[in-house]
Amino acid sequence: MEAGILRRLVVPLNPPRCRFTSRRRSIRASLNPQGGYQGPKPKREWVADWVSANDGVVRSLPIYVGGVSLLAVLFNRTISGIAPVADASSSQSRADLLTLGLAVTNILNGLVWLSIRPKSISVVNPDGVECRRIYHNLPASVISELLWAWESLSDVTCCRSLVVIYDGICILQIGFADVSDSNGGEPMAVDANKLMKGSLYNGVAKSGSQSYLANLSLYPGKSELPFLPSNTQAVILQPLGDKGIAIVGGDTIRGFTTSDQAWITLIGEKLDATLAKVVNTMSLTVEEKS
Amino acid sequence: MSMGNGAFSLYPLIPLTSHAKYRFPSKFAINKSSSLARICCSQNNTPQQQLNLSVLRFTLGIPGLDESYLPRYIGYAFGALLVLNHFVGSDSSSVTPAQLRTETLGLSLAAFSAVVPYLGKFLKGATPTDQKSIPEGAEQIFVMSQDIADNMKEDLAWGSYVLLRNTNSISVLISVKDALCARGYWNTPKDLSKENVSDWFRKQTQRIGFSNLKDTMYFQQAADSELKEMVPVGTRSLLVQPIPEAPERSSSQTENSKGFVLLASSIDYAFTDRDKAWIAAIANKFRGGAVP
Repeated sequence: MEAGILRRLVVPLNPPRCRFTSRRRSIRASLNPQGGYQGPKPKREWVADWVSANDGVVRSLPIYVGGVSLLAVLFNRTISGIAPVADASSSQSRADLLTLGLAVTNILNGLVWLSIRPKSISVVNPDGVECRRIYHNLPASVISELLWAWESLSDVTCCRSLVVIYDGICILQIGFADVSDSNGGEPMAVDANKLMKGSLYNGVAKSGSQSYLANLSLYPGKSELPFLPSNTQAVILQPLGDKGIAIVGGDTIRGFTTSDQAWITLIGEKLDATLAKVVNTMSLTVEEKS
Repeated sequence: MSMGNGAFSLYPLIPLTSHAKYRFPSKFAINKSSSLARICCSQNNTPQQQLNLSVLRFTLGIPGLDESYLPRYIGYAFGALLVLNHFVGSDSSSVTPAQLRTETLGLSLAAFSAVVPYLGKFLKGATPTDQKSIPEGAEQIFVMSQDIADNMKEDLAWGSYVLLRNTNSISVLISVKDALCARGYWNTPKDLSKENVSDWFRKQTQRIGFSNLKDTMYFQQAADSELKEMVPVGTRSLLVQPIPEAPERSSSQTENSKGFVLLASSIDYAFTDRDKAWIAAIANKFRGGAVP
């Protein structure tokens, strides 16, 4: 039986919106009056580029090749006047059998390739308004780190909303947010205390590790996240140490890959370290004053 | 006293097994729909927060045999049998044109089957099947310039840790203006003292001129033949990501890069497009500049 490589999650690896900042075939090194780059330049990878560009064609190639060869072998046998009997007595039959075996190998391999094609899932544009709220009492370095985290997430992944809550305060609410009915067209504010009493936060805080709600509409805890756009497709809840949580909302079902999840975990650790320092310095200043 | 400060600089050596891929011997089809429970459980089974990026694959259970290369082995075997059949199976005088046609078709199919695994590596959804190997003669080091701000030290330590852990690289070098951080497996000369190691790196990078790159440079295979002295022997792919200058500072002049991030790996085609996007995001962290 044919064996192949299977990804555990069928996730879109290349969402239709091209958000990657670097391309595969960037090899130019530009010269600079002060000296310029003197090192070697990489060769162009023709095969790799061609295969990536024509993914669909290459995937179905083994099946067509195998199928056509199969028919060709049978056709050859009929027009040569040999009875279509599969015995290994004559060398012609043996050669035919070997060729049939190769054709079947190719067909099976082609089926495996088709089965592992990442399913393209469409992007659902979030239904809300853009907002950008940052807690006022933070040093500039912390703010720039938070904004760096938001830029990275929104550029690389399918993240469209980001909320960071730490120590009972909503530190950051950026991206798309649901419209609040009571406040006119304003984005809805995050009730940090209510969230921290809810089951979503407590579940994540107790386990201490990330929770990935790949299809938010199936999850009953969705009601605890009213500030996210109502048609947010996927959410990652990343605990920041034991005092905070980062809520990352995406626009595609199962839109965050395992690699994205790993990166979000590590970014969460960094944010936790940064915010912990801020909280400590802020509480020290309060103690000094009192 | 700040509590979280020393956390990242205290991770000296990173075990390479954090990227080990698990093989579950199974001949049955895997249910492809991802459920919440499956994803949560797969991350909760280690005591520290180590994410095991495990990949489920079909396998015949034979250790050391990579199943994606099976068409290649079958192609070689059947091709050899076809040739054998031609010469041994019958007298050369009685070979019919029909048999010759079949054999030609069979041999071209065998050649195609041999090439198929190579093409499969570049399709979307393919995962690199080689394991990272540790180059000989290189030792794991962690070097950072000393005379820089604590904030920068922490960022460099975290950045290098994250890049080593989450990508297929075995060595990383970050150079931002005056600050330099090298981590992972490098071929530094053995007789250098600790303080001189960062000078050695600085000299090497200046010689090659990495700081003057404007675009990402990606060597996909056999990189060590071209950049011999700097990277460890056995480096196959190399990625150099320049760190752009902060936008408001470059308004008056052409955009100079502020430094670069260099990643080396021991497998071919180590960095996918998504990896490169994340590496660019990490490089942006060192961009600095005022809050927009």
